[in-house]
Amino acid sequence: MSTVDTSAKRSALAPFGKPFAAAGGVLGIVAALLPWVTFVLNDGNWPDKSTLQFFDAPFLVTGFRWHVLLLGILVLVAAFAPIPSRGRVIRALGWGLTLVSFVNSAYITVKGGGLGAITALDGATAFGGVVGLVAGVLTILAGYGIGIEPVGEWKFKISTPVAYLVLLLSFGAVLYAVAAMLTTGGVGSANPYAGAIFLSFLGFAAGVLGALSGVGYVRWLSALSEQHRVFSVIVLAACALLLPFTEAGNEYWMTVAANIGIYAATAIGLNIVVGLAGLLDLGYVAFMGIGALVAANFSGAATAYFGFDLPFPVAAVIAAVVAGIFGAIVGSPTLRVRGDYLAIVTLAFGEIFTRSAQNDIGGFTNGSNAIPGVPALSLFGAEFNKSISIGAVKLPAGVLYYVLIVLLVAATMAVFANLKFSRIGRAWIAIREDEDAARAMGIRTGKMKILAFLIGAMLAGLAGAVFAHKNGTVSYESFKFLESVTLLAAVILGGMGSIPGAVLGAALLFVLPEKLRDFEDYRLMIFGLALILIMRFRPVGLIPDAHRRAEMVERADENAEEAHVEAKKA
Amino acid sequence: MSTPVLEARDVSMVFGGLKALKGVTLTLEEGKIVGLIGPNGAGKTTFFNCLTGLYTPTTGEVLLKGNVLPGDPAKVTDAGVARTFQNIRLFPSMTVLENVMVGRHVRMKQGPLASLFHGPAYQRGEKAARERSRELLAFVGLNGVDDELSRNLPYGDQRRLEIARALATDPAVLLLDEPTAGMNPQETEATQQLIFRIRDTGVSVVVIEHDIKFIFGLCDSVSVLVQGELLVEGTPEVVRADPRVVEAYLGKPPEEVQHDVEAAAAAEEEQA
Repeated sequence: MSTVDTSAKRSALAPFGKPFAAAGGVLGIVAALLPWVTFVLNDGNWPDKSTLQFFDAPFLVTGFRWHVLLLGILVLVAAFAPIPSRGRVIRALGWGLTLVSFVNSAYITVKGGGLGAITALDGATAFGGVVGLVAGVLTILAGYGIGIEPVGEWKFKISTPVAYLVLLLSFGAVLYAVAAMLTTGGVGSANPYAGAIFLSFLGFAAGVLGALSGVGYVRWLSALSEQHRVFSVIVLAACALLLPFTEAGNEYWMTVAANIGIYAATAIGLNIVVGLAGLLDLGYVAFMGIGALVAANFSGAATAYFGFDLPFPVAAVIAAVVAGIFGAIVGSPTLRVRGDYLAIVTLAFGEIFTRSAQNDIGGFTNGSNAIPGVPALSLFGAEFNKSISIGAVKLPAGVLYYVLIVLLVAATMAVFANLKFSRIGRAWIAIREDEDAARAMGIRTGKMKILAFLIGAMLAGLAGAVFAHKNGTVSYESFKFLESVTLLAAVILGGMGSIPGAVLGAALLFVLPEKLRDFEDYRLMIFGLALILIMRFRPVGLIPDAHRRAEMVERADENAEEAHVEAKKA
Repeated sequence: MSTPVLEARDVSMVFGGLKALKGVTLTLEEGKIVGLIGPNGAGKTTFFNCLTGLYTPTTGEVLLKGNVLPGDPAKVTDAGVARTFQNIRLFPSMTVLENVMVGRHVRMKQGPLASLFHGPAYQRGEKAARERSRELLAFVGLNGVDDELSRNLPYGDQRRLEIARALATDPAVLLLDEPTAGMNPQETEATQQLIFRIRDTGVSVVVIEHDIKFIFGLCDSVSVLVQGELLVEGTPEVVRADPRVVEAYLGKPPEEVQHDVEAAAAAEEEQA
């Protein structure tokens, strides 16, 4: 069906492909150099001096105008440089242009009172947004005109040092992009236009990422990092640990990043249950709640059930084990119920947890008063919620939590990856794909499903223990049905069974609401709309689970084996 | 006479009011190929499901090398009975190699902890499983497609992959449910050769098929199942010559039908 569509479009648009691309690119550059707003809005100058009255330096473009300029130039380059899968790249860039222009124009129109603000009013003209939109649409059409070919495949091989350099630079760029994405638009209410700036930035990032993946760079890079797995993991971890040193290195963003990390770790755990074993769990956040409650009760907080405090590592292990036991209990009905029916069982469990916690059954939860005053973690006298300084560098408060949570996420990822590519992981995936066939292959499906629930719940319990200390208060309010659904959405949005997908999904779902604060009443509507659009156009998730090529697995395994042998010799 | 490798004794299966199998008995000697034929709805697949533990027979029992098989597909596979499915049931989003490695699952011993830490012993086990799986893929004639997703394979290759996956469980008995359905004559011929080669490795085989020519060319012994009952059992020559088999498949010749109708009419008249 879709092939027919594109071929029809191609035949009509084919002669206009390159001219449209050229026009789109030039118009994009022109749009960047034009003013975007005719008068000063109530909330002040539109960012980056794009309001006519402040438009004193047309060639000193910054912010979103810089993004538009860059996209325009990239369109021109893509149109005339010899690159693979040209149509795909140009279409992605076109979408970037369209999104950036649309977000800014629409926002100005809604906020500033009518279309006059972005066209002409009282003799003043500011056509930047309109020109940008036209450029974007032209470029998208150009993409279809040139033809949407398969994603480019890069055949050439490079030597190890060069590969290391490429990986280093690429992951460095990812770090920069993450920091920029977090900080763009400033913190919360400081900037009245923060939400729009953030969305505009997302549009730009989506366009550039789409182009990179269309030209085949993303696929090539992931193959490369698969080849040099150990190096990639180290660089990636280093990048994550370097975030406090970027412009995102203040207390606010450390807290947001730490919260994202906690939910990312939980989402990876859920990914074992849903993504690998294919068991729909609608009450998953309860395991995180159980972990948090156990840790809080052993923390020495004033209202804790136990009057003594255990060292955090011990409490965390107990939290994980208790959550795991509950996981196995909830998992046991999976022997009898499948699919939708299992979802209802887990939904009921989540509800049981919330209600018993609310009513303080057993005296462990302190009911609706919650357990406040869970002490902050400390290590060698350094409290995790205070700022620390290493030599001359002063690090923001909460940085130690951030580091701890990066380690937690890394550990969760390692657990997930190792299990996924093992005998157990294959059994889970086989159950997801066809349970009867899996049984016929000798897999004890009941045991395996309970194991999936158990391990997933343990990871959630661990994340919950960190959550308790990080937030200082443990209340059942944090572990309700909505959180379970959001986690599930994070897993499906990111891509089932994929690790980077779960992290990206958790990041998006927990950053977007934060970033969209100044849309007030429309916040959740925009959020929901974005989810619908993503699922409509990318049903496999943002970063779908790619299959590792067997030869690379083998090489990695052999390397590991050699390392083991060498370690024994030494 | 030695103990048969697989023996079904008087197996009956009742679903509510429907008697799908009525006391079917079948024996499979080691290193032999037995064919199971019969019209649609005769109960062939139900019989297979009883053999593999997917259904527990209402009465009767199934023995592997003299031991009663447990009523659980996973345990039956563990004991040494592997199967393929009538409508191919691979794991579509797994690669070809992974599909076969799932078959190795039951012969691998790594538990959750080993899977978590990937120690040296674990690595050796994985490597051995991978090598065995590659051997089996080469054995069934699937080369160079290890990393393809199994759903992207052509139909005939999917059938062969299913056989490789079943062989990966190191079975003593292989049950093939319509292995040549939808195949062209060349592919059918290749499948026949493949089944002979499987037999030569010491695996005993039971085949369900509709392709009579294929069955008669392949099997040491053929059983005909009609409406849940074993009609005839014997060598291909015996079965081919049996008029009841022809009747079950083609119906009676017209003159006989005419004769029957007349006989029935006469009987009625007599009663009146």
